[in-house]
Amino acid sequence: MNLTLPDWIIIITYLIGCLAAGLWMRKFVRGVEDFAVAGREMDVNLGIASLAATELGLVTIMYTGQLGYEKGFAGSMIGVIMCIAIWLIGRTGFVIGPLRDAGVMTIPELFQKRFGSRVRWLAGLFVVLGGLLNMGIFLRLGGEFLVSATGMPPGWLEWVMTVLLGLVLIYTALGGMLSVLVTDYLQFLVMGVGLVVTSVLVIDHIGWINLVEGLTTAWTGGGAAHSVTQMTAHPFNPFHASSFGWGYLLWQFALNIAVATTWQTQISRVLATKNADTAKRMYRQTAFYYVGRFLLPGLWGAAAFVWYAQQGGLPKELTSLTAMPHYLSLVLPVGVIGLVVAAMLAAEMSTDSGYMLTWATVIYNDLITPCLRKPLAPKQQLLLTRLLVLAIAIFLLFYGLWYELPGNAWDYLAVTGNIYLASVFTLLVAGLYWPRGNATGAGAALILGAIGPLAFLLLGRTYPIAPEVAGAFSFGLAALGMIVGSLLTPAPSTQCILPR
Amino acid sequence: MHTPAVIFWTILLFASILWYGFLVFYVGIKAGREIRTMIAELEKTLLP
Repeated sequence: MNLTLPDWIIIITYLIGCLAAGLWMRKFVRGVEDFAVAGREMDVNLGIASLAATELGLVTIMYTGQLGYEKGFAGSMIGVIMCIAIWLIGRTGFVIGPLRDAGVMTIPELFQKRFGSRVRWLAGLFVVLGGLLNMGIFLRLGGEFLVSATGMPPGWLEWVMTVLLGLVLIYTALGGMLSVLVTDYLQFLVMGVGLVVTSVLVIDHIGWINLVEGLTTAWTGGGAAHSVTQMTAHPFNPFHASSFGWGYLLWQFALNIAVATTWQTQISRVLATKNADTAKRMYRQTAFYYVGRFLLPGLWGAAAFVWYAQQGGLPKELTSLTAMPHYLSLVLPVGVIGLVVAAMLAAEMSTDSGYMLTWATVIYNDLITPCLRKPLAPKQQLLLTRLLVLAIAIFLLFYGLWYELPGNAWDYLAVTGNIYLASVFTLLVAGLYWPRGNATGAGAALILGAIGPLAFLLLGRTYPIAPEVAGAFSFGLAALGMIVGSLLTPAPSTQCILPR
Repeated sequence: MHTPAVIFWTILLFASILWYGFLVFYVGIKAGREIRTMIAELEKTLLP
């Protein structure tokens, strides 16, 4: 183990602080509205801290580090695209403005007002399916970081992640969004300090000029003719055919517009804000955060590549995924590694809590509630939502710890997310901006939009399908389903059209 | 080495480090105040 007593003191103090703050907030939870959207009391800066903490998980650090290792700085272009997409939405209020004004708790709830209860239920199912599959790999990837960075025995991974998830479960199930907001705030602070300190230490260790020259040499083939010391993708130009290329980046732009307007964990922060203007400001002010979300761990990954290339190549026991945390364990001094591990635990915990709460809310609000003949009493509603958080934690533990990732982590996340992103995005845009859209079109969009990503997941091993092709197909098919389905059937009644 | 792409990433990287450092303090202080206000509002609702 690379951890010393000061490291342990930092980590344990942080964990106790988080748990205490989370548990303290539970006394304010009176009903599902407080539990799911914090009574809609959230202001802009708390929103920024919460959104930034939730959307930067340990899984994010792992896959962005992997992109940095494999594609150099060009791998961070996705962060730049995300930044542009989020800023544009914050500037225009596209979708998020009318969505916040609708006063709903989840996106499928809006669909009930616009397209009826069947579409709400089906959309809820897709949201949960895509979201849970997406979240399924968080624990293992997070655990692999901790194993590599701390030098703990690999056999401890399952136990460490189980204990970590248990802690998150306690405060999320009891305090809901109120606990999540306060713990997200603490996690945002610890994580921010950890990211900055680690980046400065990595630059100091590898040397900026050495890093740039090392990547250039690895790309131009000036290094030893050995696969582990050469970079096959252009390390600085993401548009180059060896890197992402134009097609992939255009798909990423469409995907990120959809993510910023549709991804339920992000939207739950929009819905928890005081009003639509607060939501828009929150987006604009968080936008640049997404550049660093990819670029800082990408820097660590690129530095790991150059370091190992200059040492003669990556050790056999390491992969492009584990190279970065292993490299950090060599670079970070005693005391700082405790801070960085606490920061990474913060990243993991804030993401897990936000995601568990969000998917539990959707299952309760959109899958179970519409099927009940009599509404539940407030206490029963709260108990049911808490039990759903517990069930998701159990799912995560089992699925997350035995699922083997098929290749690149980012592609898996993008494709599983796309199961619902393309169709739900189409429904949202049509629901809010196209009065002619109706329930038939919505149903067709939901089903057709899921075909591309499901084909990628089920047939991808036998018939190679490029992720951008699967993604583009799902957006195209969803839009086609909505337009054709709506135009071939009667227009919706005026009651179904949301006031603008 | 001094290609536009390298300069672009250099500026963006150092700007990101500075931005993260700034956000930790700026958002840290402001969001801390907002939590206090939110708790005060919530405590009012707990009064009998």
